[in-house]
Amino acid sequence: MKKMVITVLGRDRPGIIAAVSKTLCESQCNIEDVNQTTLQTEFVGIFIAAAPDGLSENQLRTRLQERLTPMELAVVLKPMQEAGDWVAPTSEPFVITTLGPDRLGLVAGITEILARFEINITKLRAVFRGGSDPHRNIMIYEVDVPVAIDRRAFRTALQERAAELGLDISLQHRDIFETIHRV
Amino acid sequence: MFTDREILATLEMLKNEHLDVRTVTLGISLLDCADQDAAGFCRRIYDKICEVARDLVRVCDEVGLQYGIPVVNKRIAVSPIAVAACAFSSLQMTAVAQTMDAAARATGVDFIGGFGALVEKGLTRGDRALIEAIPEALAATQRVCSSVNVASTNAGINMDAVYLMGKTIKHATELTAHADGIAATKLCVFANIPPDIPFMAGAYLGVGEPDAVINVGVSGPGVVKNAIDRARAANPAADLGHLSEIIKRTAFKVTRVGELIGRQVARQLNVPFGVVDLSLAPTPNVGDSVGEIFQSLGLKSIGVPGSTAVLALLNDAVKKGGIFASSYVGGLSGAFIPVSEDLNIGEAAARGHLSLAKLEALTSVCSVGLDMVVLPGDTSAETLAAIIADEMAIGMINAKATAARLIPVPGKKAGEKAFFGGLLGEATIIPAATLAGADAFIRLGGRIPAAVQSFGN
Repeated sequence: MKKMVITVLGRDRPGIIAAVSKTLCESQCNIEDVNQTTLQTEFVGIFIAAAPDGLSENQLRTRLQERLTPMELAVVLKPMQEAGDWVAPTSEPFVITTLGPDRLGLVAGITEILARFEINITKLRAVFRGGSDPHRNIMIYEVDVPVAIDRRAFRTALQERAAELGLDISLQHRDIFETIHRV
Repeated sequence: MFTDREILATLEMLKNEHLDVRTVTLGISLLDCADQDAAGFCRRIYDKICEVARDLVRVCDEVGLQYGIPVVNKRIAVSPIAVAACAFSSLQMTAVAQTMDAAARATGVDFIGGFGALVEKGLTRGDRALIEAIPEALAATQRVCSSVNVASTNAGINMDAVYLMGKTIKHATELTAHADGIAATKLCVFANIPPDIPFMAGAYLGVGEPDAVINVGVSGPGVVKNAIDRARAANPAADLGHLSEIIKRTAFKVTRVGELIGRQVARQLNVPFGVVDLSLAPTPNVGDSVGEIFQSLGLKSIGVPGSTAVLALLNDAVKKGGIFASSYVGGLSGAFIPVSEDLNIGEAAARGHLSLAKLEALTSVCSVGLDMVVLPGDTSAETLAAIIADEMAIGMINAKATAARLIPVPGKKAGEKAFFGGLLGEATIIPAATLAGADAFIRLGGRIPAAVQSFGN
């Protein structure tokens, strides 16, 4: 048994997961993990499936494409690496929120700082709630901050970058959200 | 993984509704500093306070930054000095207060409480010396706070001590006449004082407490008010049962914040965590007011008829939510109605909506009593004592903590303003035309016996 990672992307509609999972089932591939999200009109799903030894990567790709290409869905398939080069350092979970008018380069500006400090983003989403009010444009980053980094320097760098970008920024340990909202 | 709503609601509480931790108070026992020699005692308490509280301010700031929740005040509460220093004269007691002030400055805390005595059943020599020293001690220091417990449900009311405190308050204001009698803002007279209050001016470390302990006072009147406003906007038919549920849930969230911050600070200081005090503590800022909650619940102002009912609902809902949120609840735990420290309450008093009589009625359903009530400068020690006696009676009969923090402002009359600055705020002096007339009663002295605890009607 080997593990495959399958990503499917295209305009959202009923039947996408059904099509992918039917193909996997017919190919004797067991779905071990799956997640999906949609942004505006676009769907993306990621599947990790265990494939039988007799099934090659190309065979599975071909079967998926035969079913999904007519549905105008793009599919990417690759064998899963058992262990990556990158090992997650001991970290603490934080939530970063930025608030301010939308403009080019906000995410690039913030994530450059995160990358410099080896901070991994575990979840990122835009909450454009404002419409005509640019001050309601909010980004939420859930990140893992390694315990070994200079947290003060990181906070300062983040605040300086936010100021350059015209953003209000907050960096809070995620326990505060857990504490307030969860029993 | 959190929903957007959870994250945004938290940000809203922090940025627009003044959610913060009002105080992290480090209790430090000074009983092991006992010494026959006053200078030796002062040296020991200075060293102990500075040693135990060395990292308090830094740790509170770091923990506050970590969670994005400011810890507004860092404070110290010590063993009652009348117990720890009972052998000393009043002059020596004043030196102890100055040492406490110096230790507070050295550790960077804004107040240090515990320059007090527990005299509900009688006064020791040390108690007398301490009370005698209070005016001078509070006038000569900036950060020292004093609380004296003169009544309890089990002991009754020590009317000799009540009278003594009337005189003490009067004297303290006279010594600080240049600053509107500010010394009296740092002095509380209590019935049933809890041993673990984190809030000033009442904070001290009870004799049954550990060597050091972290107690936390949460805040959040602005959060409660906004939650009520949102609920009423979303559902104009929301009744008081629904709104008390909203307050309860909000108090839960606010209290959880206090518990988290308190436990983190305690862990980093290697000191046990004590209690969260559930009191809604206002500041003199718009949007951080207990008084505004009354308006959100449909009253024109705090003080008009209906106010006692609203406060009863508010206080009870806050306790219900808070008790579920925290493993250890203590201190005063109830809505504060400090006149000068709450902009909206101060204005209600100035406009005549809130009388001294109504304030006293309100204290029967909340903590902490007649708090930061400014009175005309010509209010006599006997009248002050009589006001205190009434407040103590409410505490004794209802088995609850009540206190009086009264400031007769030297040289000023009803309608004039007193200014204390900072968290202590400012207030218009409450009319007092009908206040006199209790002199003969107060001079009777003695102790009002403890109230019967059954037949509770």
